[in-house]
Amino acid sequence: MMEALPAVVPVSTARPRRQVWSVGGGKGGIGKSLITAAVGYQLARMGRKVVLVDADLGGANLHTCLGLSGPALTLGDFICRRADRIEDILVETGVPGLRLISGSADFLGAANIKYAQKVRVLNRIRALDVDIVLMDLGAGTSFNIIDFFLISDVGILTVVPEPTSIENGYRFIKSALYRRLRAAATNDAVRRIVDSALDPKNPLGIRSPLDLLTAVERESPESVKALKDQMASFRPRFVVNQVRDVSDVSIGHQLVTACSRHLGVKATYAGYVPFDDTVWRCVRQRRLFASAMPDCPSAQKVRELTRGLVQGESLALTW
Amino acid sequence: MVAVLAGNHYDVLGIDPRATPEQVERAYRFCLEMYGDASVALYSLLDPEEQRRARSRVQEAYEVLRDPFRRHDYDVSQGFARPGAPMPSLPRPAAGPVPVRTPPPPPPPLPAPQVLEPPVDGAALRRFREGRGVSLKEIAARSKVGVRYLEYIEADRHALLPAAVYLRGFLQEYARATGLEPRRTAEAYMSRVKRVP
Repeated sequence: MMEALPAVVPVSTARPRRQVWSVGGGKGGIGKSLITAAVGYQLARMGRKVVLVDADLGGANLHTCLGLSGPALTLGDFICRRADRIEDILVETGVPGLRLISGSADFLGAANIKYAQKVRVLNRIRALDVDIVLMDLGAGTSFNIIDFFLISDVGILTVVPEPTSIENGYRFIKSALYRRLRAAATNDAVRRIVDSALDPKNPLGIRSPLDLLTAVERESPESVKALKDQMASFRPRFVVNQVRDVSDVSIGHQLVTACSRHLGVKATYAGYVPFDDTVWRCVRQRRLFASAMPDCPSAQKVRELTRGLVQGESLALTW
Repeated sequence: MVAVLAGNHYDVLGIDPRATPEQVERAYRFCLEMYGDASVALYSLLDPEEQRRARSRVQEAYEVLRDPFRRHDYDVSQGFARPGAPMPSLPRPAAGPVPVRTPPPPPPPLPAPQVLEPPVDGAALRRFREGRGVSLKEIAARSKVGVRYLEYIEADRHALLPAAVYLRGFLQEYARATGLEPRRTAEAYMSRVKRVP
């Protein structure tokens, strides 16, 4: 049975500037952590106060991307109340305006933290003196990851131009959207339909959120509007990483078009980052490419990407 | 069942009903790549059969919209154009918001339009244009005819040129921009284009 997700997320709105961004993508090894670190670095360079949060509770390595060693206290310690204050787990990165809350690689108990705990953690992080909380979500589509994505003001979805990554990207979108739709369901009949949609071989033949709406329309027409509203406010932003040529760049536009046409999801194309040996060399040296090699193509594109995200702009498809 | 490309031909190509022939072409190529067998972006979203149907839907839309006559009839049938309305003259307005521009300064007075001696082919047009010191980019900017089509005209790549009704418009724009007599230039060039209008 799924854990209930409140439709209205009780988060602090005391400072409107304060935002939570998250970087997900479903698949491991596609550069989520590096993009999180580089975007965070760039935001700090732009004068924002940034806290990076490594929410990859099973395989945290954001500290390594920043050239830091694993800190003594981590997010896991705070969740388990081994650390009382959020300040206790906050570490300086050496970049002015950029701080880190590290995850921990050995924290297996975090595999299924309760929704209320996630909200508590996020509220405590938001209460810090910060403009943007930037979360690196782990691989997969577990509720931990999806809930953090759904709570965010800006949900960034990383893919690389490979079928495996694209497949996981679509799976991530569907899982996140269905979780949100389930929370918005007004009766048991609708919840049952949403639950069955998660099974790819469901008897109703639902294969996309658009099919789901059709099924709900048949069963409970008065519930459709609430679901449509939730779908309209779900706006993942694609980042295509490891782009090698022009047709790879175009994949971002194709993803946005495909989401709109075949899933009914209004995604946007936030930007792309080229495949770049410099990034790989920097990782080997445990240095962040964005700060160590600011003129490399990837660092330049991360700057464009970050500016676009701050200004709410995306790459548009023009003919 | 995943929804496969509902809506009219313009929806299928993802363009505005006011799209220019070049925009139709570019949108078609984008869709063809997206729904192609080698497409990465659609992986796991559509099954091969759905992808094939989407492709044929794209092809069907393109076959109509690329042909000015069929497109006109379609526009009338869909209410995008009034019945009996004249065929849209070239150039068509670009899709999307029209940028506000200050009017360009009046062009300097040109000498009386000239008529070329036959054969009026691409090479003759290019020689005349270069003699007048007019670049293809300038013609494109004035006429809204894409540089690519102007190049095809000068290279006599007739197979790549649009249908006769458009080509005539392109040639007249070309002629006006370079100082040639539009009607006779277009006629002379088109008499050499061997295909059914």
